[in-house]
Amino acid sequence: MTDDPPSPALLPAGLSDLLPPEAEREAALVEAMVAVFGRHGYERVKPPLLEFEDSLFAGSGAALADQTFRLMDPVSQRMMGLRADTTPQVARIAATRLARTPRPLRLSYAGQVLRVRGTQLAPARQLPQAGIELIGPDLPEADAEVAAVAAEALAAIGIADPTLDITLPRLSPALLDAAGVEGEARRRLARALDRKDAAAVQALVREAGEAAHVLPGLLAAAGPAEGALAALEDAALPPAARAIADNAGAVIAALRARAPGLRITLDPVEFRGFRYHTGVAFTVFGAGATGEIARGGRYMSGEECATGMTLYPDALLRGVPPAPPRPRVFLAFGTDPALARALRAKGMATVAQLSPADTAQSLRCTHILDAAGTPRALKE
Amino acid sequence: MESLTDATFPADPSTPAEAGGTLILALPKGRILAELGPVLARAGIHPAADFADEGSRRLRFETDHPGLDVVRVRSFDVATFVAHGAAQIGVCGADVLMEFDDDQIYAPLDLGIGRCRVSVAAPVEMAGQDLGAASRLSVATKYPAIARRHFAQKGVQADIVHLNGAMELAPSLGLARVIVDLVQTGSTLKANGLVETEVIANVTSRLIVNRTALKTRPEAIAGWISRFRAALAERDAR
Repeated sequence: MTDDPPSPALLPAGLSDLLPPEAEREAALVEAMVAVFGRHGYERVKPPLLEFEDSLFAGSGAALADQTFRLMDPVSQRMMGLRADTTPQVARIAATRLARTPRPLRLSYAGQVLRVRGTQLAPARQLPQAGIELIGPDLPEADAEVAAVAAEALAAIGIADPTLDITLPRLSPALLDAAGVEGEARRRLARALDRKDAAAVQALVREAGEAAHVLPGLLAAAGPAEGALAALEDAALPPAARAIADNAGAVIAALRARAPGLRITLDPVEFRGFRYHTGVAFTVFGAGATGEIARGGRYMSGEECATGMTLYPDALLRGVPPAPPRPRVFLAFGTDPALARALRAKGMATVAQLSPADTAQSLRCTHILDAAGTPRALKE
Repeated sequence: MESLTDATFPADPSTPAEAGGTLILALPKGRILAELGPVLARAGIHPAADFADEGSRRLRFETDHPGLDVVRVRSFDVATFVAHGAAQIGVCGADVLMEFDDDQIYAPLDLGIGRCRVSVAAPVEMAGQDLGAASRLSVATKYPAIARRHFAQKGVQADIVHLNGAMELAPSLGLARVIVDLVQTGSTLKANGLVETEVIANVTSRLIVNRTALKTRPEAIAGWISRFRAALAERDAR
């Protein structure tokens, strides 16, 4: 048996090279979104790729501990982690270096994260993230602000008609607590809720306390926000759950005022995938099969209340219609440098001839200059 | 069929003009398909005539609803199609969902068909031995994740021999000591000198839906779910 030498093009699983023009498109998407964040007063921070694991796994970071690449720092002899999410790093910055900056604190970031394992559905192990965190206020207006700013950033890059799905990960646990559902019964009911198995939920709540009897109705109410809110309004909720429902209503009302055209759905009893969220949680879906393009919600940033949104530029790249490629103009020997500068100022790329062998075709140019110095499109 | 005109039956949720286009319903080949026919008919879904013909070369079939097409794939692939959103709705066994544990799939309805169980089976002479005493055990199965998880709970490492069929041969030919497989009547086990030693889970077929599809097209998807639910209620009322 002979061993084939590994192809030099092969990368480790889940890692990829972005080539022209995707690399430029992704960078442009990120910068356009970060610019929107900046215009709303979110100031950019840039945490390092690596830091000590204890700060990386504090708070919301704990959920990603098993997805984090770790290595030993030969200098300090302590374990470091390669970030799998940026939010815990922003939380650390807010709690330490920016502890004395008055609240609310509005921060934005953009960078790459690494995960130990991809999934069959999302095999990438290196992912770009761009996001915002609003740290300090515990207000529905703050949740509405991060969602509305994220929606504006999506609009700025041409994502048409996103759907914002709001979930209330604390509502089901509050109802199960109030109904006194414990142990095996709780596990089974939580599983049925998670799968949206309406028949099983119906059967299981019959044996549960009064407070759980609203669960089948709330499960069925998931959908457009107004209908789901009305169902929450009519349901007989214990005080803890009522507070969660009222807060959801306030967030949605504030969002409607800020982003009237946004499609909002509300799924009151879902808690899947939001382990550390303390209030509303957000998922943004693109049109068609684009899938999940952003995630966020309310959480604890150390000891402080916080809310935020993370956008996934790799998913966005699939949902954004490709921009027309930048025109490439062939600059033959002796072209006036001032003319070339003027072309670049108009957003064209000028590609200079370096040797007589270089032609407009070999340099993949789309335009050449005519005698008057005007770019003319080359025929295919 | 008359019941479909009943005022209490959910209205036809398919609206082909709606953004997002045709919905795809993925159905499993083989065993479950025959039992599924009456459920589909009660839910008001009538695929093209050659759908039930296993000899047909077609894989995608139109239905009497312009906004709904049916594809026929392997049971495991139903879950893959739905998880990726290539199909928005599907039918597959709970065994597939246990093995292919994906957070993009909801399983809102137990269809109550395709009843069987995922079990551990061992050669007759080995039955009654305490498998928990070993630290490693070779297991032949087409469910590596289920088998690994099941034995890990007992503190046993399962050395998986991944087979796609004829698991029952494995113990007698020395490929593995036990098997983890679907058991319906147990007659295949018996014919191969095996006994069922442990039931890991009881299995029925589930209606599954893609998470993104349910979130972005809640009316259409929830409409089909309630049609299936009504179809089951009508069947169980008889």
